[in-house]
Amino acid sequence: MRIALAQIAPSLGNVPANFDLHLQEIDRARRAQADLVIFPELSLTGYLLKDLVETVALEPDKDRYFREFKSLSREIGLVLGFVEEKERGLFFNSAALLAGGEILSIHRKVFLPTYGMFEEGKFFAVGRNFRVVPTPWGKAGLMICREFLSHGAHYLLLAQGAELVLAVSAAPGRGLSEAEDFATGRMWEVMAEAMSYFSGSFIAYCNRAGYEDGIAFGGGSFIFNPLGQRLVKAKPAERDFIVQDIDPREIRRARAAMPFLRDDRPEIILHALQRVVESHED
Amino acid sequence: MKINCVFVERILCGFIREELAKAGFSRGILGLSGGIDSAVCAALAARALGPENVLGLILPYRDTFPQDIADAQDLARLLGIRTRMINIAPMVDAYFAAEPANERNLMGNKMARERMSILYDQSARDKALILGTSNKTELLIGYGTIHGDTACAVNPLGDLYKTQVRRMAAHLGIPAAIQSKVPTAGLWPGQTDEGEIGISYEELDAILFELVDRRLRAEDVIGLGHSREKVEGIMRLIRGSEFKRRMPPIAKLSARTIGLDFLYPYDWDK
Repeated sequence: MRIALAQIAPSLGNVPANFDLHLQEIDRARRAQADLVIFPELSLTGYLLKDLVETVALEPDKDRYFREFKSLSREIGLVLGFVEEKERGLFFNSAALLAGGEILSIHRKVFLPTYGMFEEGKFFAVGRNFRVVPTPWGKAGLMICREFLSHGAHYLLLAQGAELVLAVSAAPGRGLSEAEDFATGRMWEVMAEAMSYFSGSFIAYCNRAGYEDGIAFGGGSFIFNPLGQRLVKAKPAERDFIVQDIDPREIRRARAAMPFLRDDRPEIILHALQRVVESHED
Repeated sequence: MKINCVFVERILCGFIREELAKAGFSRGILGLSGGIDSAVCAALAARALGPENVLGLILPYRDTFPQDIADAQDLARLLGIRTRMINIAPMVDAYFAAEPANERNLMGNKMARERMSILYDQSARDKALILGTSNKTELLIGYGTIHGDTACAVNPLGDLYKTQVRRMAAHLGIPAAIQSKVPTAGLWPGQTDEGEIGISYEELDAILFELVDRRLRAEDVIGLGHSREKVEGIMRLIRGSEFKRRMPPIAKLSARTIGLDFLYPYDWDK
């Protein structure tokens, strides 16, 4: 299987321009004979939308851009980010996975960062689930940016047997050091290394580039294999496009050698969590 | 406090190029004082936009600091950027002839705003956006004139401490005469930043870094070996200058008030 990561810089609030950018990158991925191309979080709209959220919201079932994406997905799988108006007046930071002419999954962001420079909780409704769905390449689960840094979110995908974790991101670069990257760049890879190894699954993470209101997005998109090895990494904080072959047989090899998934006990975790939640005192 | 100058240069050049392009501009303009901050900003802009797309305004008052003019001109020649020199004495003197003042702060602030006024006028004539040159140190302690030297369209240097700007100056090959100059706002002869603030930039930046970037409490910063007087003095300066870093509050009356619940990105429709 061949995966393309389109580390683009969408235009803020300009859906038609971003749609054209998606078409260009999809074409590029097809020419590279990729089976799947992944775009960043909110790739159709840009990130720092604030009150623009309602003006760029889409309903995938009725939307003309999605009609086009569905049609393109007969040739190549797509993961992209957009603002979804799921119910009238309820706006979600969503990611869609399309293949074979259909929308296979829509994930609505559950963890909306709202602190410091982040204001997502002011503008978006909260998603409620992490799902794993069958795809032509194996069982896949979607994640959006901050969720990737949550043990719990990874666990929910692991417990459903995800073989492919597809993460979209609009992560700003923050913090300077002597390294030729933002200090936050490493945080994403630390999580990816641990989670790919301990779940025996592939992880593909696509971040964005470009600037919005002075913020430089950190780029550095990557793919890890089920042995916790990084296969490829895009440039930090600039536009990039990378293509990587992955071998799904590595999932079997990793899980046979290290049976973390086999030995997991979700029912025990569930009961223990239930007790934690019930005994919680305010 | 350590930085990778190659990386910072790349991020800041990208910022200058993309922010200007989004606003529909290919040219930048800035005031060249002959000091290190405007020199670093000019060098970054020349690399980001091409030297022919950068205009440096040299805005002296009479001939108070001839060495600064010469240094600014040398820098512009080295970078290959365009310059224009406009002496602000006729405007400033005319005003103070009508409204006499002998407080040097009044004179200094008026001069800073006169330069701002000329920068905005010249930016419109040159179809250029104004690049700010205020660094993080002076923004945090409020060592600048509101609507004067802090006024700009975009500021590439506002998240670099003064000592980090110095490292960038060395990396960018800024002439030694500028790098080794004692920092001054140039508002009156003999003025120096460190003399006026009462602390060296090294120590000031070290304290600010602990208080702001690392979020240490004042007591913990004092525990690192800095004097209570300095740490508390700096905290007073930070608190007292928040108004210089913000848009003024609007009296809220309606359901949707600018800045409170009418919230759009700066890069709206760009």
